[in-house]
Amino acid sequence: MNPTHMAIERQLRAHVGVWLPLGAVLFGIACGLALVAGVGVSLHDAIAAFAEGAWGSAYAFAASANRALALGLVGLGFILADRAKLTNVGGEGQIAVGGIAATAMSLYGGAAQLAGPLPFVVPMLAALLAGGLWGSIAGLLKVKFGTNEVISTLLLSFVAVWILYGCVQSEALLRQPMTDSATLPESLEIPDATHIPLLSDDSAVPLHGGVLVALALALVVAIVLNKTVFGVRLRAVGLNPVAARRAGIPIASSILLVMFFAGAFGGLAGAFMLQGEQFVLKARFSSGYGFDGLVVGLLARGSVKGVIASALLFGFLRSGGITMEMVAGVPSAIVLIIQGLIILTLAGAAFWLERQPR
Amino acid sequence: MDFTSAPMLALFIGSSLRLAMPMLLGSMGELVSERAGVLNLSVEGMMLTGAFAGAMGSLATGSATLGLVLALAAVLPVALLQAFLSITLRANQIVTGIGINILVLGGTTMAYRELLGHRSRVQIPGLDKWAPPGLGDIPVFGPAVFDQTWLLYAALAFVIAIALVMRYTAVGLAIHAAGAEPRALDKSGGSVTRVRYGAVVFTGMMSALGGAFLSLGDIHTFTEGMTNGAGYLALVAVIFGNWKVGRTVFACLFFGAATALQFQLPAMGIQIPTAILIMLPYVMALLAVSGLVGRQTPPPYLTHAYVR
Repeated sequence: MNPTHMAIERQLRAHVGVWLPLGAVLFGIACGLALVAGVGVSLHDAIAAFAEGAWGSAYAFAASANRALALGLVGLGFILADRAKLTNVGGEGQIAVGGIAATAMSLYGGAAQLAGPLPFVVPMLAALLAGGLWGSIAGLLKVKFGTNEVISTLLLSFVAVWILYGCVQSEALLRQPMTDSATLPESLEIPDATHIPLLSDDSAVPLHGGVLVALALALVVAIVLNKTVFGVRLRAVGLNPVAARRAGIPIASSILLVMFFAGAFGGLAGAFMLQGEQFVLKARFSSGYGFDGLVVGLLARGSVKGVIASALLFGFLRSGGITMEMVAGVPSAIVLIIQGLIILTLAGAAFWLERQPR
Repeated sequence: MDFTSAPMLALFIGSSLRLAMPMLLGSMGELVSERAGVLNLSVEGMMLTGAFAGAMGSLATGSATLGLVLALAAVLPVALLQAFLSITLRANQIVTGIGINILVLGGTTMAYRELLGHRSRVQIPGLDKWAPPGLGDIPVFGPAVFDQTWLLYAALAFVIAIALVMRYTAVGLAIHAAGAEPRALDKSGGSVTRVRYGAVVFTGMMSALGGAFLSLGDIHTFTEGMTNGAGYLALVAVIFGNWKVGRTVFACLFFGAATALQFQLPAMGIQIPTAILIMLPYVMALLAVSGLVGRQTPPPYLTHAYVR
């Protein structure tokens, strides 16, 4: 093999974490565009509608960014647990319990009467805690009984989603008082004081302050993963639990802690969605965000920068997809197809990624 | 609970059986594949494929049986994709399963809108009903319990066949070996890859039948994402069933009964939050995988790719 060829191959391998996800995304989008053409919509119209919905106006841009925030938080939790080779597929349920906790605190926990920034901070903390505890159930089962965390987080997700459903169906829990038979099964709107403040006074740009919290957390996760003892411990637990135990690393508490944090990020995402965008808790509150967040975490391949990039990608993809359906008549299901293709391409490509260079 | 009225009880048993069938078909396929060492989270997507293709085939040809054939054909590429990724490329089985489910949900939703968007409430020719001679004539219980689509009886026959094949035949032994001791299978001249491919394709076929049962046997229409978690419940049933045929069947029937109760209880004037009944199977499975109800022993090489 000649030296230039080897140099190129080395370069490719060194940056595989960048070009591979990029390639998968481009492949997914190319297939999506082919499908748009296939259903007989002009590509120009479809792309124009997509752009309009994703970033065409300040409002659209802010809505996409808000969506990306929730996805990014779930993604951050995912890569944190992934460092210890724990796969958290429970984002959906963690968002749901976060949403429940934030709603309960905002409406009935007396948060609205507190002073200063507390009215919106307290429900966020409650959501964080609830999500964290929900995540640690899976950690506890793993530590105590060796239960596979994929199965337990998936099952816990279903349970949480139905708890949420039960909460908004029952007046004794979070359902709004029934005034007549047409009263919808959803919570009351949370008080203004508990809304997360918007970044600008202009209500046409509904980007909320959670973006600052999320960026700060992204920085913290990056530091924890790369610069702290805890980060090294997680890696050791993931790579070789036996060696980690011999080296005196507390495996059980590392697993518990990291599953708590993964869940807490999901819970906080739930608070962001409730207090920053939706303001009312509905049965299908978390719908899809948990799985999208999981995909964001997968795409990121363990890097915080990757989480930010793919969260933005999916935030814009979803918003643009909705407008594309409304304006250009292209089913927004196309976004699901693109997502599925991206996941499968990446999963299949891991075969070449993980082969050791000779 | 007032089950003293015979018609009520008959109705309940009949609908429990009907609601259990899609899960039962899917879980029997999944049990075989998990025994061979491959976990298919994609059962959900395979069922959805079957439900969609079955409905479209039945609508296009006017024959539900041809719809069933189309469902079996349409699931092949999906199953082969799962097999290729998880066996040949040794990709993470959980990730590929979730990917396939998202892809199929998007694909069927889009295809449905393109094909039928303008006439979405269309009725589809369903599978014929049949009752075992004699049993169908029993007053009250005959029509409500035994008069079912023939696929339900076929499913019960499949269960028995699978139990026998898994226990008494060389094929069953090879499947068990692929998930318990793949190296031994390889050394003795069998092919782990071939057995696992076969098992995944079988899962696809059974799941497609389960999905088609939903759209052709029960409701006679297709709705977007109509499996709505039934595939995940099929997986849960296998876990709860401790990877054994008998217990898995029991789990499916139980889940079916829990689902039937959601409709039955309000009709009987009993107010139990439906969320609790829907949640029940998942909670039970959670207890099962935590080892709180007996010891669970999954096949040792479940989700482990085999490298020669």
